[in-house]
Amino acid sequence: MTVVRLESVSKEYRLGEANVTALRNINLNIEHGVFLAIAGPSGSGKSTLLNLIGCIDEPSSGKVYLNEHDVSGRSPDQLAQVRARSIGFIFQTFNLLPVLSAEENVEYPLLQLKELTRSERQERVRHYLKVVGLSDFAKHRPNQLSGGQRQRVAIARALAVHPKIILADEPTANLDHKTGGRILSLMRKINRRSGTTFVFSTHDQRVIDMADRRVDLADGEIVRLGIRTDHDWHFAAERVDDSDQADDTNEP
Amino acid sequence: MLRLAIRNVMRHRTRTALTLAAIVLGVAGLILAGGFVQDVYVQLGEATIHSQLGHLQIYRKGYYAQGSRKPIEFALTRPNDVLRQVRAHPAVQDAMLRLNFSGLLSNGRADLAIVGEGLQPDKEARLGSYITILRGRMLTDHDRFGMLVGEGVAKALKLSPGSRTTLVASTADGGLNSVDFEVLGIFRSFSKDYDNRAVRVPLAAAQELLATDVANAIVVLLDATPRTDQVKDELEHAFAERDIEIMSWHELSDFYEKTIALYKRQFGVLQFITLIMVILSVMNSVSMTTFERMGEFGTMRALGNRSRTVFRLVVLENVVIGLVGSTLGVAVGLLLAIVISGIGIPMPPPPNAESSYIASIRILPPVIGAAFLVGFIAAFLAAIWPAHRVAQIPLVDALRQNV
Repeated sequence: MTVVRLESVSKEYRLGEANVTALRNINLNIEHGVFLAIAGPSGSGKSTLLNLIGCIDEPSSGKVYLNEHDVSGRSPDQLAQVRARSIGFIFQTFNLLPVLSAEENVEYPLLQLKELTRSERQERVRHYLKVVGLSDFAKHRPNQLSGGQRQRVAIARALAVHPKIILADEPTANLDHKTGGRILSLMRKINRRSGTTFVFSTHDQRVIDMADRRVDLADGEIVRLGIRTDHDWHFAAERVDDSDQADDTNEP
Repeated sequence: MLRLAIRNVMRHRTRTALTLAAIVLGVAGLILAGGFVQDVYVQLGEATIHSQLGHLQIYRKGYYAQGSRKPIEFALTRPNDVLRQVRAHPAVQDAMLRLNFSGLLSNGRADLAIVGEGLQPDKEARLGSYITILRGRMLTDHDRFGMLVGEGVAKALKLSPGSRTTLVASTADGGLNSVDFEVLGIFRSFSKDYDNRAVRVPLAAAQELLATDVANAIVVLLDATPRTDQVKDELEHAFAERDIEIMSWHELSDFYEKTIALYKRQFGVLQFITLIMVILSVMNSVSMTTFERMGEFGTMRALGNRSRTVFRLVVLENVVIGLVGSTLGVAVGLLLAIVISGIGIPMPPPPNAESSYIASIRILPPVIGAAFLVGFIAAFLAAIWPAHRVAQIPLVDALRQNV
């Protein structure tokens, strides 16, 4: 099952006088349940790609499908709905709401889901704080938590809405190696246990090596796609105009 | 959402304090300025009333329009009947008779055309702060042929207390009459014009001079200035049968009306400038604090909040700040008003006057209410543009502000 499908997606920015092409003709399928790393040097378009998948940004051309629904051309409010229900975000800078406690931060996106009762929300909050191992810190404010703990709250927050996909933009970049490794392991564990699809961007080789799929970007184009068996990566060279191959490579 | 708003307000302490300070200063400033202006109006009004106008003056119909040239023709006949009836009104503190005349004052060597007032000395003394005695003493009811002269009159005729003078005037039936007076005192009023022309003598002496028993005006003093118009209506009703007109002090004092109009315009401009400054400084601090939190609002939208929700949150936060700030501002304003009133503001003499006075800050509900509203509305309006901006800015750009 395909969670995300990009069809010849390009993204251009205007930077002063010049047009900068952030992404050029990207074709990509992301299957359900993968643990996928988007790798590449900074400026290669990793964040832009994640933003497009996460309905935070819109492509200049091409189409983005979430769960086989075309999300291009939707109104900002509709996109907000899509984000609220289908996508969990984990940010490099954690982005917890500073005035809310850990549990309130996890609960916050749930307030959008009107179908949930108060007790259902609280149940979810309890559950996901336990999943990330922060049950004892439920009442703490973000500034009372370490970086690793904050990112775990963010993970719980992303999980709580039961999203189709969790997008993490450089989730470990603001953490030391050890903590970053633990965060990745946690995400990995959740991915294995509950089948939640994770897509994260990184330029850290050790982080890449924990993924089971990788998409390598350079200068806004996919240069290769990789699949990992045990400890070895198997690469398929990506030809820009050949989307079939991209699909093949991504099948689990 | 209100809870989140309040928490945000509480959390960003320095930023909130910044906006609060702007609102508090503005609101307090408006209260002080407004209260001060009101005090100036009231003081000027009281000064006008207690100078010599009283709250109300009662004439025979036509006197006000034409009487100054023919005071006797438009005089009140049997003035004591009217006087008795007026005094029966519960709001009337006192009422007194006046008779105006013009004539020549002579010191034996030179003459000066003067405007004379025959009045009831003791009652006038209770009414009025209008004149201050420079030399000599006040006229009393016991001085049958005593006279007070204005500073300018004294100078022109070289009079001093004790001088003998002769007053010449035409009588009610057209003849000429003269009466001798002794100068008892020399006075100064708020008005130099008045001091240059005026003399005051007892009513009985004036009536003798004019060979009549009438009076021109009954001056009425009330126990409370704000009741002026109400009492005027009631008295007019009571005298409907008689040939009488009643004027209130503000109708009589062209000077007061014009001065107030002038002050209102001047203070209006100042208040408007204050208002603009309050709004600008509130806007400045609101947009600063809002744009600083761009990333936070970006996060909210990324988590699925609609732009509208973010907009509402920002506006709500500032409504909270506006309410708190305005309340604090009112408190600070009242406190300062009380303190400043306690100390008093020494004021220079008002236009055309020679005495300075001590001003205070009036505490008036409408002024306070208006100041509160200004603070509140300024905060509310100031929030709209920044709230719109942070709600509408492309999400990618908003999220990039997270550090």
